[in-house]
Amino acid sequence: MSEALKRINPRRPFQVTAEGLKRIVLGVAGEAGASVHVAHRDATPKPLRLRGEPTGQHLVIAHADRGALTAHAHEAIAAAALLADAATAVTVLVFGDLSEKLAPFGADRVIVAAVGDGAHFDPDRELAVAAEQVARLAPRHIVMPDSAIGDGDLGRRLAARLGVSVATHVVELAPTGVAASWRGGAEMARRDLPRMLLLDPGTTDLALPFSGAGERVEIEVPPFPDSRYRDLGSPPVDSAQLGLEDADFIVSAGNGVADVPTLLALAKTFDAAIGASRVAVDDGRFARHQQVGATGKTVSASVYMAIGISGAVQHLQGIRAVRHVIAINTDASAPIAQRADLTIVDDAQAVMEQLLEATRGRNFAPGVTP
Amino acid sequence: MTATARRIAVLAALGRNPVSGKARPNRDDLLALELARQLGGDLTLIHAGNPDEAALGDYFAYGASSLDLVPLADGGDVASALVTRLAGYDLILAGSRAEGGEGSGLVPYLVAETLGLPIVADVIAITLGDEATEVTQALAKGQRRRVRVTLPAVIAVYPKALVTPRYAYARRLAGRVTTYVAPAMEPVASPWHREAAKKRPVKFRAAETKSGHARMLSAIVAEARGGAVIAAGTPADKAQAILAYLRLHKLIDW
Repeated sequence: MSEALKRINPRRPFQVTAEGLKRIVLGVAGEAGASVHVAHRDATPKPLRLRGEPTGQHLVIAHADRGALTAHAHEAIAAAALLADAATAVTVLVFGDLSEKLAPFGADRVIVAAVGDGAHFDPDRELAVAAEQVARLAPRHIVMPDSAIGDGDLGRRLAARLGVSVATHVVELAPTGVAASWRGGAEMARRDLPRMLLLDPGTTDLALPFSGAGERVEIEVPPFPDSRYRDLGSPPVDSAQLGLEDADFIVSAGNGVADVPTLLALAKTFDAAIGASRVAVDDGRFARHQQVGATGKTVSASVYMAIGISGAVQHLQGIRAVRHVIAINTDASAPIAQRADLTIVDDAQAVMEQLLEATRGRNFAPGVTP
Repeated sequence: MTATARRIAVLAALGRNPVSGKARPNRDDLLALELARQLGGDLTLIHAGNPDEAALGDYFAYGASSLDLVPLADGGDVASALVTRLAGYDLILAGSRAEGGEGSGLVPYLVAETLGLPIVADVIAITLGDEATEVTQALAKGQRRRVRVTLPAVIAVYPKALVTPRYAYARRLAGRVTTYVAPAMEPVASPWHREAAKKRPVKFRAAETKSGHARMLSAIVAEARGGAVIAAGTPADKAQAILAYLRLHKLIDW
């Protein structure tokens, strides 16, 4: 029987793609085991969605944080672009300082209103700017992320001020209508597209077959006289006391960290919360509530510094929502390098000590002057 | 506390038990009621809806002493009905979302806009002053912000505010309801159609217009992953590379 089985040469010719994947191309003759590197596919620019002079507008309003919009705000822009036809432009009004490009998400025009980085609470002023832009552009739809960092608040203020039809906490949208969950998720309610949409996270796929024009305009915002609100500032919060889910900066240790006091000192310097991988927790070096990953906590920090963590799938699952991952590891081929935005290949102890040396005498906690 | 007692209104909606589906006081509004009770002052609960709902009595058990009821048919405009009873209050508190119906979180904003009052949302603590009140807002990532806002004002309470409403049956028996005349309002047909919730909402994505060849390519070629890898140099250089990355993306103040 066995001679009837068709044998396959395990060392058939293969190609290595630009992404480093091994591909066997059938019918290609070549030396067995030889690898052919395919040149990087040239990234052809996506076609512009907008054709000619726009006859209408969709407006997206969002707050920038540290020069960038959140993924949630990107989704709102993509949703507005997908709702728009070829003669409708997508204009994005951004409050705060913006340094990223929004054209890949479908923004045709970006209006940057410099009103501080969202840290200063002055809703009357932002509302005045937003209402003025709505009056000027007369958008068909206003799309905003329904987020806790100010967009949901501003969106509701704007809806109340304009008195337009509005759908909040939208979980599903299409050109024909929107759906929102009612009664705590027991019911789904549908309606036609209202003038204003506040989207929950995860409604829209960010992969777009087109791009926006991405033209940028900066506007000056006059101060709002007689504001009824006064921002008294934010009291400093000790990040080490915060839950990992709430932390913005996490220093996390894995099996490669033997010297825990140095790690704690590093976390204190960066005003970071402390996380750990399962191995480090099982060893007893860290507490169970500090474990990040599938059996621990799911975090959504801006920075996650993974020190001596190889990055098992269960661990990477817990840091999926993190924006910047910095890995320090002796093994450049560890799975964490596939996820990390910056990978340092070196002994964790040496780099930690050098980081402490370079930041000696400094503390990055807000409200602490160096 | 000032000599004259402050007049405080708490907007109360009817909630719904997520398991049994029975009517109950709205969780978020109970937090607003508890915060208002801690402030002292002259407290009134205001509800717009069905006057025969027995679950409203539970609000008394949680500490309200009087309830102003504006009769409103199902699907009526809650904000306009509430506004008819809201004149002369120094502070109007509300929960962030209702759990019994639409739960849009818009009512406090509509009330504030109609009355021309300032509104602060996501509030976890309130200190009353003479002409202004100081509130603490809960922001994302565990941050807090203190805001001073002129009185009268509307305040929406953070859904995870650290107050615990307590139930006492004796208070439930002592509460009294004042039912007002239903405001004359044209019934408006709701644009919403309700249905049982599906398993998962469908994501909004671009229509697939790629050729078969392009689709095959995108299926076999994984997205480019991984960022910069720094293997050469001394540990000191590498530490500087990390700090440069953090500075470049404005993640630390340097």
